[in-house]
Amino acid sequence: MNSEAIKNGARYFIAIAIVAVFVFPIAWFALTSIKPVSAVFNKDRVVVFDFKPTFDNYRVTILGGRKSDTNSSSSILMGTSGEGAYDGRGAIASSLIIAVCSTILATTISLLAAYALSRLNFRGSQGYMHWILSQRFLPPIAIIIPLVFIFRDLGLRDTHFGIIIAHTLINIPIALLILKSFFDDVPKEVDQAAMIDGATRFQCFYMVVLPMVKGGVAATAVLCFIFSWTEFLLSLFLTNSIRTIPVKITTFVTSTGSEWGYISALGTAAIIPGFIFILLVQKHLVRGLTMGAIKD
Amino acid sequence: MASVKISNLEKAYGAIKVLHQLDLDVEEGKFVVLLGPSGCGKSTLLRMIAGLESVTGGDIYFDDKRVNDVHAKDRNIAMVFQNYALYAHMSVRKNMAFSMRLNKTDKKTMDEKVNWASSILGLDDYLDRLPKELSGGQRQRVAMGRAIVRDPEVFLFDEPLSNLDAKLRVQMRTEIKDLHQRLKTTTVYVTHDQIEAMTMADEVVVMRDGIIEQSGTPMKIYDKPNNLFVAQFIGSPTMNIIKCQVTEENGTRYAALDKLRLPLPDDRDLQVGQALYYGVRPEHFKISKAAHDINASSSLTGIIKVVEPTGPETHVYLTLADENLCAITRERIEMKPGDEIHLQPDVSHVHLFDGETKNAI
Repeated sequence: MNSEAIKNGARYFIAIAIVAVFVFPIAWFALTSIKPVSAVFNKDRVVVFDFKPTFDNYRVTILGGRKSDTNSSSSILMGTSGEGAYDGRGAIASSLIIAVCSTILATTISLLAAYALSRLNFRGSQGYMHWILSQRFLPPIAIIIPLVFIFRDLGLRDTHFGIIIAHTLINIPIALLILKSFFDDVPKEVDQAAMIDGATRFQCFYMVVLPMVKGGVAATAVLCFIFSWTEFLLSLFLTNSIRTIPVKITTFVTSTGSEWGYISALGTAAIIPGFIFILLVQKHLVRGLTMGAIKD
Repeated sequence: MASVKISNLEKAYGAIKVLHQLDLDVEEGKFVVLLGPSGCGKSTLLRMIAGLESVTGGDIYFDDKRVNDVHAKDRNIAMVFQNYALYAHMSVRKNMAFSMRLNKTDKKTMDEKVNWASSILGLDDYLDRLPKELSGGQRQRVAMGRAIVRDPEVFLFDEPLSNLDAKLRVQMRTEIKDLHQRLKTTTVYVTHDQIEAMTMADEVVVMRDGIIEQSGTPMKIYDKPNNLFVAQFIGSPTMNIIKCQVTEENGTRYAALDKLRLPLPDDRDLQVGQALYYGVRPEHFKISKAAHDINASSSLTGIIKVVEPTGPETHVYLTLADENLCAITRERIEMKPGDEIHLQPDVSHVHLFDGETKNAI
């Protein structure tokens, strides 16, 4: 065995080990979601594959089935919450509305701002960039109390619109920075060529530069979506009745125990939209769309 | 087509002035090359003509119309950039048709013009390809195609060949010149490559530090440089310059440097003791291995450092009284480094520049 083969083997081993570290919790989580309670809470041994799969957890959390109809004995183990307490359909709808709307808003606003910051020279533009970046210095928990009062006074608390605004505001700085770097990669001469061809500034942006950075826009939108989809703190403090998925899942941890079956079922289901979204845009996630515009 | 007139043009970025009261006339249909070293302001001047830079002072006219405040999109110019600046997401056809699409030109005219441009530029087979699927030369042709379909008043080129390899550059140079001869559109072309300037231009404008040092036909600039800078900037290999002093011995005036005596032309007004720069182009040295082959009275003897045969001619780098010089010969002379070589400047082609002002005498 030559040293090249050993190197290759070691490379694959390390790659597989790293991937396994990240994939294992998700796989275990997904596996738990189809286990009966007896397999989840087995005191004698860890049940890996030797159980009879059940979709009861999904039936209750994402199809709105009655908990009392399940074959599992979790209600006996955990005590019984009210019927419908484990129905995650409302949370999924809320999360979708909030994540999609805040992603669209944050991406649109950031796109226009990033283009302006990348292309227009104006006094203080550098300082403005630093100020935008500084908005991410504070952890959200530090501003949560004033935010709750402000949102209450504005009548935005416990509304979809309120959470959308909150998530948009949190997403804008990072989206702006990422998009600006993509715009900076497109040479200014491309805009100038378009202008000489007769385009207005907005036509330059819309018809020429934007299509050249669509990979960056997709990447930014994915990041915004994932942030909003998984965000917990703001959603918890700014809502009472509207529950996003992360907040809803915490309600499955009750005073009498944790409903691991339901937690894992709704959690696994929650991965799916993000996963689909990433699959749809993954071909845009690779940079290089501007290739060919200029001398490489 | 339009003529371009520049009058007292100035450009400043804050307190830093980059162009100083420039005057320039580009006649209708002419090919004018702005030539100068990096940072001389030639690209800034071109971008001001294009409307991509604001004007600090002075005026720009297209024919008799002042265009200082006319937006780039309304100047009816076309510009080819150094890095091509193609629209990467559009096919060659769409790149070329973009300006017509903005003008809402009908599809038939659009197709006709694109096909006309692509046939001129040899792009017929590439119309549906994306820029990334083309070579550097093809991309540059697309950039030119995008410019010519617009039938512009003025063509502007900003170092369009700098990114191409040497062979392609020569080929594209010929193509651009051929294109200009066919279309006869007024053209302003920026380059720092004096060979490009010499080969393509009807008129060369040599710039330095934001001023125009000299303008004229390529041969006029080459044969009659106004000053030392122009003399050294134009020509490859560069003109040999020896700093010396006018001296008189036995009733004959020479340009002297230590023991070196260089013959002076009779038709110049020179004073004994006057400091001057003595300039000889490499091809204006006659060289020989034997002293008797050339006029012995004005023969100089140097030591060969490097011999560079290029095929049609040989470049000989030598030292003469501690001065490094270059001579070019078309004769096949056996030479090697370390050999003595006799050389004689052609007095009728000697350039003299004042030692202080550096202007031509």
